[in-house]
Amino acid sequence: MTAPVSLARPWPPQPGEAANGGPSTDTATLFVKKFPGMRFIGWIWQVTGSLPLAPEQSSDEAFDRLAPLFRQTGTSYERTSDALVFRKKDQPAQDKMSVFDSGVLRIEKGATGSVLRYHLISRALLFCFLLPPLFLGIAQLTIGMAKFEKPATEAAGAPGKASGASKKPAAKPAAVPQNPIDKFLGAPAPEKPKKGEADKPGGRDKKPTPTPAYVFAAIFATLYVVGRILEDRLVKRLFKKSLLGSQNA
Amino acid sequence: MIGAQAPVTVGWENVPKVEGGRVKQFIFTWFQPTMLFALLAFWYYAPNSIAKASTAIGIGIGFRVLLLGLEWVNPRYESWRLTWKELVTDLFYVGLTYTLLRIVDSYIGSDVMVKAVQHHVHWDSFKWFIGLPLLVQAFLISFIFDFGQYWMHRGMHHWYPLWLPHSVHHYITQLNINKGAVGNPVELFLIGLGIGGFFDFVPRAFLLAGSFGLAIGTYQHINVRFNSPKWWRFLFNTTEHHSLHHSQDFEATRSNYAGSFIFIDRIFGTCVDGEAELLGMEGGRRMSIREQMTYPFTEGWKTLKERFGRPSVAVAAE
Repeated sequence: MTAPVSLARPWPPQPGEAANGGPSTDTATLFVKKFPGMRFIGWIWQVTGSLPLAPEQSSDEAFDRLAPLFRQTGTSYERTSDALVFRKKDQPAQDKMSVFDSGVLRIEKGATGSVLRYHLISRALLFCFLLPPLFLGIAQLTIGMAKFEKPATEAAGAPGKASGASKKPAAKPAAVPQNPIDKFLGAPAPEKPKKGEADKPGGRDKKPTPTPAYVFAAIFATLYVVGRILEDRLVKRLFKKSLLGSQNA
Repeated sequence: MIGAQAPVTVGWENVPKVEGGRVKQFIFTWFQPTMLFALLAFWYYAPNSIAKASTAIGIGIGFRVLLLGLEWVNPRYESWRLTWKELVTDLFYVGLTYTLLRIVDSYIGSDVMVKAVQHHVHWDSFKWFIGLPLLVQAFLISFIFDFGQYWMHRGMHHWYPLWLPHSVHHYITQLNINKGAVGNPVELFLIGLGIGGFFDFVPRAFLLAGSFGLAIGTYQHINVRFNSPKWWRFLFNTTEHHSLHHSQDFEATRSNYAGSFIFIDRIFGTCVDGEAELLGMEGGRRMSIREQMTYPFTEGWKTLKERFGRPSVAVAAE
């Protein structure tokens, strides 16, 4: 899916940007300088990496090959001779880099040749990281509400307190009938309602339990670990394929 | 006119078939009916000790995992491939449905409605119903629920206050197993309203009715290419129908409202047979989760201000 590329910058200057409006030499370093604590937790939502370029590949050539990745709906980017800054908003699921919301790609010349370094930000990774505590909180809320309700229920059910009208349940038959066709076809006979269940038709009085919230907390914790590793590898593979792809073609 | 705004395919003869060998074609032709009849047979004959809600939850999870596997093996469209981000988003909404919405439901939602009905309706009034053959009971429970869903869903597409919460669900740009859960919580609450749960006083019929939802309704949102038999797609909702409903074409979205039984749409003249690949709103803009949560309120407020707000031109003129 391609879409017209907006080269106009749709966001205010970012921390660490050079005065000329282009990306600074090291946005990540400046960001970490400003917020030193981020050094230890930044890995949660940031993906960084590097890829060596082919010896004969220039910066311009490399960015030309990477450019199609940023010609997507909701993506804007800006290029200088050695860096590419991009930002995404409401990116569709079909965007191969949809998991990232912004980032910087830079080509640095070293002793052994040029290297592409990238620093990508993903709100989706951060969101997934925060989901287990959220669902653990929901579990606690469920437990808390059940505790809050228990005294009220006990009070209502206390002898002498319940009125005759509220005690009167929807009457149930002594035996549940079975259609002769079902009997003929061998379906098990329906169970008689157990004593005490008459007050709770179909178990309708069952209150929510914290179990699903615990299960989802575990699912998202697992998904975070999977996503943090998978998306790191996928984007590296995507950049590698883009840089080498047309060369091989 | 359908297809004037975005590409859609209309007519079964134009819908692509499963590609591949004989075995693959056989599997993806008969998978849907086989699973439906297997589930019906299971719940019909399962001993009372097994025919419980906990078993149904286990089967539901297992079935969805199997369908995720099918999405991997035989996708309808490559552009609908499930990504990690989409999976997390979808499961977040599934999680909300199973936790927070369940709490809300138990206080002000369908649980309360059902309880009220069960309290006031005498068991004897339903003796005739529980005397019916199990499969008839199950079909009636499922049909009554789906009939209600049809009108709620149609109402959401034709009445602005209901459209606001439902519109969020239409910003999805692909169909996958858990995409049915994606939407603003207000809509998820509204769509869950209904007295389908009332019939849980006939547990086995209720579990059988759940099989219709699981083995038919689930295919609304799935990225699998099936060669559904003719009779199946005449009676039941399919991914094809529902992809049209989610297309970027406005006229196409005003079709195929039923959850499981597409013949309800045929009865009321809202059924269109066909499919679409390009889905969503505003040219396929994907909403962030934050916007999904706030959109009905911010958009509703904007509309109210436009309609009842003081025109700024008049103020300037003074």
